[in-house]
Amino acid sequence: MKFPRPRRILLYALLILFAFAFILPFWTCITTSLKTNQDVKSTVPVEPPTSPTLEPWMEALNIMEKPLLNSLTFTLLATIFSCFIGSINGYVLSKIRFKGSDMVFLFFAIGIFIPYQIVLIPLVLTMSRLGLYNSIEGLILTHTAYGIPVCTLLFRNFYKEIPDSLIMAAKTDGAGTWTIYRRILLPLSSAPFVVTGVLQFTSIWNDFLFGLVLARGTEALPASVALANLKGTTTAFWNVQMAGALWYALPVVVVYLILGKYLIKGYMAGAVKG
Amino acid sequence: MKENVIALLVLLPSVLLVGYFVYVSIGWNVVVSLSDWKGLEPSYTIIGFGRYAELFHDPVFWISLKNNLLLILLFVPSSLLVGLFLAILLDMKVREEGIFRTIYLLPFAISFVITASLWAWMYDPEVGVINILLEKVGLGFLKTGWVSDPTIAIYCVILALTWQFSGYTMLIFLAGIRSIPESQVMAAEVDGAYGFSLYRRIIIPQLKSSALAAFVVLMVFALKGFDFIYVLTGGGPGGWSTDVLPLEMFKETFSKTHFAYGAAYATVLFMIVMIIVVPYLYMSSRRKEQ
Repeated sequence: MKFPRPRRILLYALLILFAFAFILPFWTCITTSLKTNQDVKSTVPVEPPTSPTLEPWMEALNIMEKPLLNSLTFTLLATIFSCFIGSINGYVLSKIRFKGSDMVFLFFAIGIFIPYQIVLIPLVLTMSRLGLYNSIEGLILTHTAYGIPVCTLLFRNFYKEIPDSLIMAAKTDGAGTWTIYRRILLPLSSAPFVVTGVLQFTSIWNDFLFGLVLARGTEALPASVALANLKGTTTAFWNVQMAGALWYALPVVVVYLILGKYLIKGYMAGAVKG
Repeated sequence: MKENVIALLVLLPSVLLVGYFVYVSIGWNVVVSLSDWKGLEPSYTIIGFGRYAELFHDPVFWISLKNNLLLILLFVPSSLLVGLFLAILLDMKVREEGIFRTIYLLPFAISFVITASLWAWMYDPEVGVINILLEKVGLGFLKTGWVSDPTIAIYCVILALTWQFSGYTMLIFLAGIRSIPESQVMAAEVDGAYGFSLYRRIIIPQLKSSALAAFVVLMVFALKGFDFIYVLTGGGPGGWSTDVLPLEMFKETFSKTHFAYGAAYATVLFMIVMIIVVPYLYMSSRRKEQ
């Protein structure tokens, strides 16, 4: 709906005011990351640096490089695994009628909402027994397992929209279950794969809790935990901390800016963060 | 092979995996909470519900629960209101709507470890931007310790979390508003509803299901949110001024290695979350069937 002129000026003033409030933390983060220690103390955080330097970025990268690579590895692999498993499950749950499919649905749905504190102790014990404590493989397994519920439900909802008549036609032509999945559903699945993939990528990349309890030391340390450690150790050096935060934010911000509309679809599908 | 046999075979690995990592693990946690396990060496001697009794007499448990309730009472409504307000603003045929939407939603896409770092920097009493800006605009008397002041730290946490989640509630409400048929809005306009009264009378009453979906997500987060507070305040200052149940569970278990006690914390937290989630899942699955 449209307002007369003076009101529209007020409207834009409000929108811009909010935009400033939302951007301010990012802005002071970026300016600080480009300042020398001296500059951090002597300038106002919102001011651009007097003598811009990339030193904090290099220093932060030195500390974060291995954790960033760790995160990239387990995030990509767990995203791929959970999406494919979710896709096959979603197909079965939406297109094949069998007794108890509603129960299976509820079984997965509860897995999305549980507070992970309830499984932390058994998870750590399980991973140590499997010899996967403090390993990339352990994090891949964990994120895949806890990603299956949400991926399954997202794909199930997508496949429900595909008309059953398409499946029936293929069946009368003699196509089996696997052929129907591969020849009919999979080629129609690029949108759901992007939506689910982007959602999984950002939530696994952003995870902190599992990384915190499953990885000590450096071999498997995720970037989230490395950044939190950075905050604990170098409280004085805000510039390095902010540069570290930006390194860690970079992949998700890129995904958000390029594939944001798919991420929004994922959020809208009732997916949860935290 | 019959189709439903194939269906079960396909689902079996996932059901086993989720069954183990979710359901068996929940049971396992409950067993730990009934045991005498204290220290690094696992012990499964069942001694009963003593840990729970201890919990309910522990002042730290009540402080944490109180902070969780503060999040529910303040963070949940403030995120809903700011999100609704932004959604209404954006619905007024705004030019460059996409840019504003992208800006408002950005914090929600970002890791809590990052946003907690950003707010730690903003709230820094010496060099943080908030105190410095207050000084510059002549409001120096408002300068305070923010997250280092135990009396207001929890409210600082709530403000920052509202900043992070309002974009999400905006998104949910905007989608709700856009799904209302144009004809209804036009009919109301003909009847003389205009501006904010149009929203109050016609649009907001139809946003119930959007509000409910956002409400559940926010409630669950208010109870289980851990990362942000862990990184920003660690539950302090002044001991427990921003402590919450999931954080206290972590501290008892992994810092103090009091596993049985930590498991009891986890069980109580789980029960509270399920009280909110199960009725919601039940209701939404019923609605889909109709």
